[in-house]
Amino acid sequence: MFTSLVGKALVPVGVAVTGFVVVCCLLLYSVIKEDVNRDSVLHATNLADIILKSTRHAMLKSDRETLNNIIRNIGEQNGVEHVRIFNKKGVVNISAKPGEINHQVDKKAEGCISCHSGDVPVTSLGRMEQARTFKNGNGNKVLAITAPIYNEPECSNAACHVHPPAQKILGTLDIGLSREALDKSLAALRTQMILFTLMTLMLTVGGVTALLRRNVFLPIQAVRDYICRISDKDNQAAPPPTHLPQDLDRITKCFYNLMQKHNKTERELDEARKGVVRQE
Amino acid sequence: MTDISQEQQSVTEVSQERDGREALLQVIHKEIRRLRSFSNRGLWAFSLFLLVSMMAWYDFRLIPFPESFIASLGAPPPPHLISYLLLFYTFSAIILSLSRMTGNIEHKSSFCHVGYLTGFYLFYHFSKALDDNYWAVFGAGITILGVETYRIWNFCNEAIRIKNEQLEYVKKTGRMPIEDPSPFE
Repeated sequence: MFTSLVGKALVPVGVAVTGFVVVCCLLLYSVIKEDVNRDSVLHATNLADIILKSTRHAMLKSDRETLNNIIRNIGEQNGVEHVRIFNKKGVVNISAKPGEINHQVDKKAEGCISCHSGDVPVTSLGRMEQARTFKNGNGNKVLAITAPIYNEPECSNAACHVHPPAQKILGTLDIGLSREALDKSLAALRTQMILFTLMTLMLTVGGVTALLRRNVFLPIQAVRDYICRISDKDNQAAPPPTHLPQDLDRITKCFYNLMQKHNKTERELDEARKGVVRQE
Repeated sequence: MTDISQEQQSVTEVSQERDGREALLQVIHKEIRRLRSFSNRGLWAFSLFLLVSMMAWYDFRLIPFPESFIASLGAPPPPHLISYLLLFYTFSAIILSLSRMTGNIEHKSSFCHVGYLTGFYLFYHFSKALDDNYWAVFGAGITILGVETYRIWNFCNEAIRIKNEQLEYVKKTGRMPIEDPSPFE
């Protein structure tokens, strides 16, 4: 198969086209996934900033009731898995789930370790570093953002507060968003791209194969069979095959004419030989 | 005396002719052996690539962690830049291979491609994007090395066929056939 004309014409082109289209689709999917993930992290970070801005006044006034209400309302939104604020020691002060309040957060857990890996915790992180993805207790994939609550002059100077000006971080807001919708969109995109790739491959490789077979390989096979047949002495008058493409049709007709001339010359030679024998 | 010297001369000519034929046959046999071993080159490169891919699948456990490498070499390029480069490399490698196939050129390039592809695996590994892009590099490798293997195998098969024809001709006539220039060149 690989050494025949069909193999030589179709195998390398088929492998090259199929491979290149598959690689393009894999890379495209990977780039789209990276973009979507980055956008969703930016969206979640913006949401965390909005929450911090909305709760700033309540925090300054140490209005725990308003703070609790805001956090609880946000936590009830669709797609929000958890919202909580914990202090510098890692104890949850406010949470959308009342059961979490006063629980200690593990500093070695994913999302905390990025800042707490060294002896001195990191106080500022880039936007992408604030994000982490994990599966929560319910088995849902969650994209969580940890946004530090920085000490401000209004906080350290407030009469009701005890935060010294040297303390850089007062606590952390942790918000977790469900990745279910995002993963569904990515899965749908993946299916669509697989379908698109298969259709493109069927059209290109299948189409080229079918056309080459119809217009080149089958006519060449017919010409080959004809030439093999005509080389046999008994079939020398066999007519050339019809319905061939123009070039091959011309070749077979020329070959047919040549064979006719050859046969005629042979007959004349035979007759001449017979004449010489009779004269002798 | 003259008859003896003529006889000796003809014996020498015959033995020289036989030696020449043997030498030609040896040269052709040697060339066929070289082509046979060269035709496996693509498969060796393919096997090496599969080995590297297996190491990449297990996150290159034998080499240092990306963090220590990044600390000594600096930040790696972003994954999307590596992806663009991979796409460009795949395209040009396929075009180059198909061009060599068209021109019937003997070129030993398979192992270079294994090196380039290993480079892509490593760059993605250091950018921490190997999980998302593993199959893209693997697909590119299978495609490029598949086309290259076929090209080398096909070139060698064709050359071996011609050499076998030459072998038969030398056995019959004692000299090399006159080579017709290829109509496709």
